[in-house]
Amino acid sequence: MQDTGKNIIIAGVGGQGILLFSNLLGKFYMKLGYELKTSDVIGLGQRGGGVESHFRYSNKPVLSPFIKAGDVDYVISFEQTETLRHLHCLKKEGVVFSSTYELTSSSVNTRLQKDLPESKTDIIKRSENKTFIIDPEENKSSEFNINKMMNIFMLGYYAEFRGYSHDEMIQIVKESVPAKFVEGNIKAYEKGSAIARAELVVS
Amino acid sequence: MKTGNEFAAMKMMNGNEAVARGAFEAGVKIASGFPGTPSTEVMDYTNLKYPDIYCEWSTNEKVALEVAIGASFAGYRSMAIMKTVGLHVAADALGGAAGSQINGGLVLVVGDDVGRIAGDDYNDCRHYGNMFNIPVLEPSDSQEAKDLMVKAFEISEEYSTPVILKITSVTCKTTSRVVIDEEYNFQVRHREKYPVSFSKVIMTTIMTKAKGSEHPKLTKCFNNFTAHMKRLADDSNNFAINKLELNGTKIGIITAGTPYYYVKEVLPEASVLKLGLVMPLPEKQIRELAEHVDKLYVIEDGHDIIEKNIKDLGVSVIGKELFPRFPDMMRFTPDIIEEKLVPGAVKRTPMKDVPFRLPVSCAGCSHLFVSRILKKHKIKAAADVTCGLIGCFPHMESYSLQKCMGSSIALAHGYNKAKGQDENFVAMIGDGGFWATGINGLMNLIFNNGQSTVIIVDNSCLAMTGGQHVASSEFGFNYKPENKLDIAKVCEAIGVSDIVSVDAYEFDNLEESILNSVNAKTNSVVIVKKPCVTKFKLPKATPSYIDQDKCTKCRKCVGIGCLAIESKTNDGLVDIVINQDICTGCGLCSTTCKFEAIKS
Repeated sequence: MQDTGKNIIIAGVGGQGILLFSNLLGKFYMKLGYELKTSDVIGLGQRGGGVESHFRYSNKPVLSPFIKAGDVDYVISFEQTETLRHLHCLKKEGVVFSSTYELTSSSVNTRLQKDLPESKTDIIKRSENKTFIIDPEENKSSEFNINKMMNIFMLGYYAEFRGYSHDEMIQIVKESVPAKFVEGNIKAYEKGSAIARAELVVS
Repeated sequence: MKTGNEFAAMKMMNGNEAVARGAFEAGVKIASGFPGTPSTEVMDYTNLKYPDIYCEWSTNEKVALEVAIGASFAGYRSMAIMKTVGLHVAADALGGAAGSQINGGLVLVVGDDVGRIAGDDYNDCRHYGNMFNIPVLEPSDSQEAKDLMVKAFEISEEYSTPVILKITSVTCKTTSRVVIDEEYNFQVRHREKYPVSFSKVIMTTIMTKAKGSEHPKLTKCFNNFTAHMKRLADDSNNFAINKLELNGTKIGIITAGTPYYYVKEVLPEASVLKLGLVMPLPEKQIRELAEHVDKLYVIEDGHDIIEKNIKDLGVSVIGKELFPRFPDMMRFTPDIIEEKLVPGAVKRTPMKDVPFRLPVSCAGCSHLFVSRILKKHKIKAAADVTCGLIGCFPHMESYSLQKCMGSSIALAHGYNKAKGQDENFVAMIGDGGFWATGINGLMNLIFNNGQSTVIIVDNSCLAMTGGQHVASSEFGFNYKPENKLDIAKVCEAIGVSDIVSVDAYEFDNLEESILNSVNAKTNSVVIVKKPCVTKFKLPKATPSYIDQDKCTKCRKCVGIGCLAIESKTNDGLVDIVINQDICTGCGLCSTTCKFEAIKS
């Protein structure tokens, strides 16, 4: 069946390249001829604040820039506290892609608030939705810094999951990131897609 | 100029970029402004993409608007860009321009932080439309942001009035398709219709007090602004930017901005009046919709302004009673509309107890050094609007007073005058706040014989909004080294008794300088220098780490409020750790640790 469109939330914390991810995805779907709207919500604070991007592509004009809770097909999250914030937005058949990276909230650091008592990864795994967990520690490489390039790693992972042409996506990455980061980013992309390939065989 | 569709192209643009494009297509000659989230990028894009338009970041919003008013009087289309909080600063200038003769179109691009996404107070710039009797336009996506910008200039000239284009944190940061003419040739428009333009105070004084005021010497000054607004209100019933979509008769919605799209998605059957011009209102269209439907609602982001104005027309609508605003609701979402107006809609609730993120300074920020010293020595201080205001939050508690941009010097002065010599309440201010209006506070402090200490944290830019230049920056749209202002020299010229400049990273020196100034019973300025780590991408030193064998978990280092210092819980055990990817190796945390557990 032809893909008529999807609603995606991309989440994480400031500095993780969420807006770049959404931008690259936008270029890809534009090339496929879809209508799209993306809306970025950049929270309080400078670095380390929560960031979410609502990304919608469709073969019909997109109306609301924000996705209603319950209408999200994919949550792609680079930080697991932020994953938890968006789980309730997913459709029943929606899918979560979540990094186990965690930047402890300042309110927890300073004991204004208690952290959740159990592992966030376990909570995510337990959710009703299909879940893919990506552990940056397990996917470390000497060829790129996964903590800085989780966005592009995840782009490769997502593209593999969706069965998209890697050549086209890599071309978009090449055109969009500064020259000195192209090589590392392509390595991150390839690793992400390879890990997804292995994971999809298992599941 | 080519006008056919052969060169029409689809572009993805966010609202800010689209407004800049609209300014270009409207033939704007002068763009002035002051940075403020969410609308800062309107200027950034204008400067980057349209070199035909003269751009300047002015010292503050009032100056920016005055520059635009002067350019408009010279006959050229001009725009002033600011956020709503900035329009408060510029309100006097707007009051002067409202109701007076306009030559070149004058448009204020004003960003409202709906939803308090960037943390502003709950403001709504449309109040100025009511107060000054001037039109307000509100786009709902990027295409409209571009188109309404052009329309705003036409309205400004046709009805002789400044016009506000209200954009929001949602329209500014939403990217959608815009059709543009790629071959468009820039044309500056020029129109000098009126030889004089005074504030309406002067004209109305003449008109109301003088008999025989029909004398041409008087009438040539007079701009019948109430008649212009009345004519605009009548004409707006036929404007294409106000769209009446008559569908089902059960529900009617009057809406503007992005909520229009939430309504279309959630209530596809509803009849809708979508306003592009939100002030003045198209009365005929409103009455037609009211006649057509059983129930009429107003869905507008921000305050209940359209709602009140409609009620003033004697039309009954449902608004705030169904959708109570702040603090019950930060902004409209499709979910809120569905919950209230679609029976049986499933409500989804977010997971409870997910930790909240308080704002934190970047690792290596010079403000952290100042906050730390003030806290260490229990020096009471006022913060300003600057990245350093993060020190006010309860996890840091370095400051006890913080108000508007540029205020801290006068706040401290007032406090010290009231308390007498008992204590020295210190003012901390950024370089941006200092030039914006803080400099007035300093002049005031000196000639009124104040004895306060002022700490100016000079990071060479307006860091909070992304690093725009200020008067003392070594870069900028119109930068020339010989025109750069020098904070120390200006303080000296104003007559400050004691001025010292210190590098923020020289902790001991900074500590001593601040203590010396605070303890000296005279007015003083400590200039703390260090370029913004984020804007200028300062080279990083070796990251610090915590020796877990020596760490006693006293959490003194956590208290400095650095993003890199985390409290991690593993199997019920807490470790204080330094995030190696975030740490810049500035060494501030090691000054807090008496157990020598922090190493690099």
